Amino acid sequence: MNELISTPRGWLDSFGEMTKFGGRMIADIVTLRVFKFFGEALRQAGILIVSSTLVIFGLVFIIGSECGIEGGYFTYGEGAPAYSGVFAAWCDLRELVPLVFGYMMAAKVGTGIVAELGSMRISDEIDALEVMGISGMRFLCATRLLAAMMVLPFIYLASIGAGFFASYLAVVQELGYVSSGGFLLIFWQFQNPTDVLFSLIKAMAMAFVIVIVGCYYGYNASGGPVGVGTATAKSMVVNLVSVHLIGMLGTQLFWGANPRAPIGG
Amino acid sequence: MSDDHEQTTDGGGVGGPPSLPLMPKPADASRSVTRAGASDPASRVSVVDEAPPRPAPPDGASDDEYRWHSYKVYPSGRPDAVEFVDTYKAFGRSQILRGLNMGLPEGMVSMILGPSGTGKSVCIKHMVGLLYPDRGDILVHGESVPNMRDDDLFEMRKKFGLLFQDGALFGSMNLFDNVAFPLRQHTEKSQDEIEETVMRRLNEVGLGDARLKMPNELSGGMRKRAGFARALVLEPDILLFDEPDSGLDPVRTALLGELILEIHRDMMDEAKAKQKEHLPTFCVITHDIMSARRVADYITVLWKGRLVEAGPAEDMLNSENPFIRQFLSGESQGPLTMD
Repeated sequence: MNELISTPRGWLDSFGEMTKFGGRMIADIVTLRVFKFFGEALRQAGILIVSSTLVIFGLVFIIGSECGIEGGYFTYGEGAPAYSGVFAAWCDLRELVPLVFGYMMAAKVGTGIVAELGSMRISDEIDALEVMGISGMRFLCATRLLAAMMVLPFIYLASIGAGFFASYLAVVQELGYVSSGGFLLIFWQFQNPTDVLFSLIKAMAMAFVIVIVGCYYGYNASGGPVGVGTATAKSMVVNLVSVHLIGMLGTQLFWGANPRAPIGG
Repeated sequence: MSDDHEQTTDGGGVGGPPSLPLMPKPADASRSVTRAGASDPASRVSVVDEAPPRPAPPDGASDDEYRWHSYKVYPSGRPDAVEFVDTYKAFGRSQILRGLNMGLPEGMVSMILGPSGTGKSVCIKHMVGLLYPDRGDILVHGESVPNMRDDDLFEMRKKFGLLFQDGALFGSMNLFDNVAFPLRQHTEKSQDEIEETVMRRLNEVGLGDARLKMPNELSGGMRKRAGFARALVLEPDILLFDEPDSGLDPVRTALLGELILEIHRDMMDEAKAKQKEHLPTFCVITHDIMSARRVADYITVLWKGRLVEAGPAEDMLNSENPFIRQFLSGESQGPLTMD
């Protein structure tokens, strides 16, 4: 019985600690204190662009082509292949691109942050920073969050383009069920700029949480290399659960009550 | 060895469990004297002229366990740069500091000695505010570290240089950038000035030619020396060394000891020439008795989270406390066992 109570209590404790930790990171950005280390934020932004952009584009491209093919088959089977653009518009923009973006952020960026900060923690590098009179939280964590805020919206918007392009190629060029003009007519009818904004908000909420979770587990790692490994695994679990929660809540909030589509009465 | 000991006491001869030992000042009195005297270093000079009652052992410990703790502090004649006042610290169920009272005199090379697990490295982390005590106080130049706001703490830390056991160099930077890092963050120096300062420090520790190497290309000894250069670069008032000799061969250990003494001497001359408010204070944590004999001006011996005895090196090396004698001679027979 005690076990049953203590486990969720432990989760709540961790959630509280993580929230407090994230609050401090955000406070460092809001109060502009992080701009003392703007150079480090730019360096982190550069690392994000160089190391993560292509892999995100690649994964989103694959998912976009899958959406296109499955949507094409389904609409063709129902006798309405002209509507395969609906799948590309909805499946890509509203659900799969944000999710895949979140997966890749968690797998590549989140675990990278945990491993890097965790290694710095166990080799006393973070303590060395603090002893030099530099806030480790600000220099290492707030700069990473700022870098993510500066760079990721653009990477995400570009990756939506990669997904759309893949769906177009799959439906129009590969399957050939519909002409280019027919596909694009339906494709643009079933989305508008507000949908793009909602999709961006979903993805950025995921990225925001992933960076905070990564920084939390890395910054507080202990127990040597094994401890860093454990922290990395824990962060991945938390991030994957968070990505799906944010995805679900985002869909409910933005499209749950209103499909925002030219259908129905 | 320092020959600046202006005051000495007989220390009340100790041979076995002391009956009426000379004691460090009581916690509260110490705190008030220290804070009141923050602007007057002379008032912070430890003067032992009476023997307060022997403190009770910590909770859960018997008198017998602490019978070798004479708590005797031979005066150094200098104000304390850092003071621990009745400090307690526990990690889970492990009680590490159990009412520690000790000071590090200004302008001296102090050594903190003691058996493994007695809280020496924990002391260093308390001095720089990386750990906070559960109870008690730590004063740096008369200011309470646990009570500082974050911004004041970061400012206070600029007084410190700390050499970690493995150097704690930043793995993503080469040696030059590691040493230049504090200057770039905290000063407005031009690139030329930074280059000059960094190369001077790297040459002092014999690493001028390795400036472009990454930390993973350096040996353990080189990493320690690089950490030393980085700790020196902001010319701190207080320099802390956490087991600088661990993993080094005896010759390198001796050379590092000489380097510490040489740099302390240079910094003392510079501080006196510039009439600095505080003289440079070095604190070395070590298990190496030879280093203690060669380098220390002042020795503090800790055991079971409390001070056993402290004083200028010559007083400590002649101490009659059996524990101190055993520890400083490295003998297997004596109060300290494997238990």
